[in-house]
Amino acid sequence: MTDLLRLLKLFTPYRRWMLGGIALGSVVILANVALLALSGWFIASMALAGLGLQTIAYFAPAALIRGLAILRTGARYGERLVTHEATLRCLAELRVWFYERLEPLGPAAMDTWRGGDLLSRIRADIDSLDNLYLRIVAPVTNALLCGIVIVAGLAWFDTRIALLDLAALMLAGAVLPLLALKLGDAAGRGLTEARAALDGAATDTVRGLGELAVLGAVTRQRERVAGLAERLIRHQRRQMWVGAIGRALSGLTANLALWGTLILVIPRVAAGDMPGPQLAMLALGVLASFEAVAALPTAFAAFGETAAAARRLVEIADATPVVTAPDPAAARTPARFDIAFDDVSMRYRDEADWALAGFSLTLEAGEAVGLVGDSGAGKSTILALIQRFREFQAGEITIGGVSVRDIDDATLRQTISVVAQRTHLFNASIRDNLLLAKPDASDDEVREALRLAGLEEEIAHFPDGLDTLVGEVGTRLSGGQARRVAIARAFLRDARILLLDEPTEGLDADSEARVLEALGNLMQGKTTLLVSHRPRALAFVGRVMRVSKSDLVTAGS
Amino acid sequence: MAVSQRPSHGGEAKRHERWLKDRAGAVKGTLMLATGSGLVGGLALIAQCWLVARVLDATIIDGAGLNEVWQWLWPLLGVFALRALASIASDALAFEAAARLKRTLRDQVMNRLAALGPRWMEGQRSGEIANVLGGAVEGIEQYVAAYLPQKLLSAMIPLAILVAVLPLDWVSGLILLVTAPILPLFMVIVGRGAEALNQRQWRRLSLMGAHFFDAIEGLTTLKQFGASRREAEAVGRMADEYRSATMRVLRVAFLSSLVLEFFATLGVAMVAVYVGFRLYYGQLDFLPGLFALLLAPEFYRPLRDMGANYHARMEAIGAVGELAPVLETEAETRDESEGETQGDAKDETDAAAQTRTARPLPSDPIRTIRFDGVGFRHDAANEDGDGVESVDLTLARGECVALVGPSGAGKTTLAKLLLGFLAPGAGRIEIDGVDLREIDVEAWRARLGYLPQRPTLFAGTIAENLTLGAPNATPDEIHAALLRADAQGFVAALEDGLDTWLGDGGSGLSGGQIQRLALARTLLSQPEVLILDEPTAALDGDTARRVMAGVHSASANAATLLVTHDIDVARTADRLVFLDRGHVVEQGTPAALEATGGAFARFALLAEEGAA
Repeated sequence: MTDLLRLLKLFTPYRRWMLGGIALGSVVILANVALLALSGWFIASMALAGLGLQTIAYFAPAALIRGLAILRTGARYGERLVTHEATLRCLAELRVWFYERLEPLGPAAMDTWRGGDLLSRIRADIDSLDNLYLRIVAPVTNALLCGIVIVAGLAWFDTRIALLDLAALMLAGAVLPLLALKLGDAAGRGLTEARAALDGAATDTVRGLGELAVLGAVTRQRERVAGLAERLIRHQRRQMWVGAIGRALSGLTANLALWGTLILVIPRVAAGDMPGPQLAMLALGVLASFEAVAALPTAFAAFGETAAAARRLVEIADATPVVTAPDPAAARTPARFDIAFDDVSMRYRDEADWALAGFSLTLEAGEAVGLVGDSGAGKSTILALIQRFREFQAGEITIGGVSVRDIDDATLRQTISVVAQRTHLFNASIRDNLLLAKPDASDDEVREALRLAGLEEEIAHFPDGLDTLVGEVGTRLSGGQARRVAIARAFLRDARILLLDEPTEGLDADSEARVLEALGNLMQGKTTLLVSHRPRALAFVGRVMRVSKSDLVTAGS
Repeated sequence: MAVSQRPSHGGEAKRHERWLKDRAGAVKGTLMLATGSGLVGGLALIAQCWLVARVLDATIIDGAGLNEVWQWLWPLLGVFALRALASIASDALAFEAAARLKRTLRDQVMNRLAALGPRWMEGQRSGEIANVLGGAVEGIEQYVAAYLPQKLLSAMIPLAILVAVLPLDWVSGLILLVTAPILPLFMVIVGRGAEALNQRQWRRLSLMGAHFFDAIEGLTTLKQFGASRREAEAVGRMADEYRSATMRVLRVAFLSSLVLEFFATLGVAMVAVYVGFRLYYGQLDFLPGLFALLLAPEFYRPLRDMGANYHARMEAIGAVGELAPVLETEAETRDESEGETQGDAKDETDAAAQTRTARPLPSDPIRTIRFDGVGFRHDAANEDGDGVESVDLTLARGECVALVGPSGAGKTTLAKLLLGFLAPGAGRIEIDGVDLREIDVEAWRARLGYLPQRPTLFAGTIAENLTLGAPNATPDEIHAALLRADAQGFVAALEDGLDTWLGDGGSGLSGGQIQRLALARTLLSQPEVLILDEPTAALDGDTARRVMAGVHSASANAATLLVTHDIDVARTADRLVFLDRGHVVEQGTPAALEATGGAFARFALLAEEGAA
């Protein structure tokens, strides 16, 4: 809840939009209640006047009825535009806020929160917070506002009806939905589990279909999936019952409020204590008043999920960066580009095992060294440490004799360029992806970089050349091409230290040859660390070092 | 958000919807009952309005007291109860219809997968297919449970209201009658315009909307280029552009709701005003006039509710887009997955071979397997596939042949050809002289043992996983298989041992443990032909040695095809075939090949340097 409030505070610059949307939303509801109540009063009065039992100045109410209809229609359109405008403005604010908090955390944050899962979780969480105003804040505020106005209006005619309507509104709008939510919650947890189990089994079945076929176990797995599907349906059924009964009871509450109104008011009318048309007005008004709480069940249902999303995002946003930047005054710029790891040890958490223990390695400026070793031996850790994505606990890492801890971020990025198996290509034009490395590069520079990466001709064949979108259907870059775009970026960057993280892993033989040719060009004169298992790639370095967790052995050649 | 839904092409969407409607025919009875309950609710609503009108009429016009109107107030309670029950019944019945349809669809998908088999799966993205079984089937639920019954009701309930109002007050009836067809008509016209606009803008909008997530995904890359701070500004700018572009679309898209609201609200107002004036001039009685006014908002309500179910329809259409291809076009997808097959074998698919020429295996046990000029090329789209060309090799009972070569040489492709997951485009694979394509698939599979590069363990206990292929294995046999796969130690160390529960994909175990358990599972069924694809990939050197010793002792009487790029593992084979770029470069015993200083020797040397 505090997390939600904190995120809501972010949206204060847009409070005018938000309040405007709520005001219009209330107008929509109140106009309808007024329209129906007034219509009831109007036709009853007209009927009595027609029978000569009373007189009526019919012009004003008839015009008001039409006016209310038009007001409701216009307010409805305005409400939808304004609430969406508010939502989209909040969305922009939220995204910038979150990005600015995630950015200093760097790649370390991305690994810590369970890798690939993090992204899909952030996506879902941001999506559900995008709707915080539209799905929760606006309907709840509207219900409160309209509820108060309606009850006050009713009280002007009959206090007992006002109290009756208040109780019924609270029952239908809050008590029953919350009760359903509580009952549904237990079912909901089971539902999530059942769905996850089914999805998991589906993934396993498809992934392992070959093994199942060879083992002759396809039928057994099929029965298993069917069983899990049944379990899911059982959970869904329970939730369906809760929802269906809740809806029916809410409707019943509104009808009983109408019934109660009739019973309470009819004696007053019969006693001459209240004019007849007011009975019609109160009856129709009470029945229409339930529109005010109609959106509440959805809002309550979304609340738990949204609060959890807020909690997770705030937790990420509040995390402390694992690496602290050097004091700007003390920052130094290396003049040479030799690298030294001196007895470096690193672990990811205080209680964890060493991910890297007593690692030492020296690279002369311009030297290329290969790193091999089992997965988990610490190769990626070494690359992360020199990029200052991770902190090390013992030893020292220097570039040109300067500790990496003393190099400021901008300088370090200018010094190091990276070509990785998983270099991200942004969903933008190829040109934009290249300009990332050097925003002010000229077209000639871009072309030269592409030529050196062996991509010039292939890009020229794309429909829009350099302006082709990377993700565009039909022009998807192959794995090898994507890798060479990353190499072209590195050419543009022209940093003096080069980190190659499995640059040809996952490529077929032809692509590998082309990527290696481009890498050969790129490595000229640069201090290079190459992590790879591919013999052809390792042939490009002067020295290969095997990294293993327990003992670190250097081998020359 | 209103625009996050991808507008589908009109024709395709219609086809998908028809497909789903056809399938929903199977649960028609239950759906009709659900709709019927909804209709009972609608009729009860008309009765309710009539009773309320009677009460108000009696009180206001005739000055009746409470005692005189109890005769209508009591039945009113009964009507309320009936409406509540009808609402529950309708929901429950619609749910059961949807549940039954989901069950049927899921069964059909599973049957399809089993029939199409692993060969078809080779050309598919496994994540998408898995989603068909899970998410896509669930995606049709709301369409069946909410949209379809509501669609019928949105025609039937207004009609019932008209039938009730017209004879009593034809003017009000006429107002409703005239506005009713205009409503959907206008919605269609406005909706068309909005949809066309959406389709043009959808790509742009979704690109802009996704920019933020793209930036987060690429944060490491942004950092590496020192561009991550700069990007914050771009995130803000893009979100802002997204807002203005979205609002341009919404301004038009919301027009349809404006039209709906306008006619619905104005309809009620007009009924009120016209009824009022006719009452004033004595042309109408209060009772029918009030009855018409009470029913007027209810007349438009089902039409409005339809709008809320539009989302369910879009979701279902999207789901059918995933479901239909798997359930329908088996022949086509199959050809596609086989890619550019070169020879005359193009239409010799699994099923065709099974039904036309399926032959039992010629001998028991299998003696010799021969690849004769075998070629295979993956289609261009399958990037990871590595083709092979004119491969000749033999594999005899009791022999272990290692396929060695750099990644991408075609080792795994050869293994899959022997498994029958791929069919050779050229040449043939003979089992004791009989073409593999003519052999009954089930019979062939029963002789095989297969350990893929990344084996799959299934949710269940370790014991259940081990005995998948050998349900009748004795504890001793299980113990022996575990010993050979070097898995006995860690399984015994687990608190629940063989009864330890594993999550999906073997979660809870390390990659090396999964690989060893999967190997034990493969060995347990005592296959005659053993195909191992990188069996030691996730294992350290010592474990790999122990595991290979176990494999060799278990497979003394089997023909073993061992795919590996690990030199130490390759050296344990009887014979070694070195592949590069789809061709057999050389073959012989490991020792002989190393002595001749050919491709394998160079490969081994490079690896030694790396692995020293």
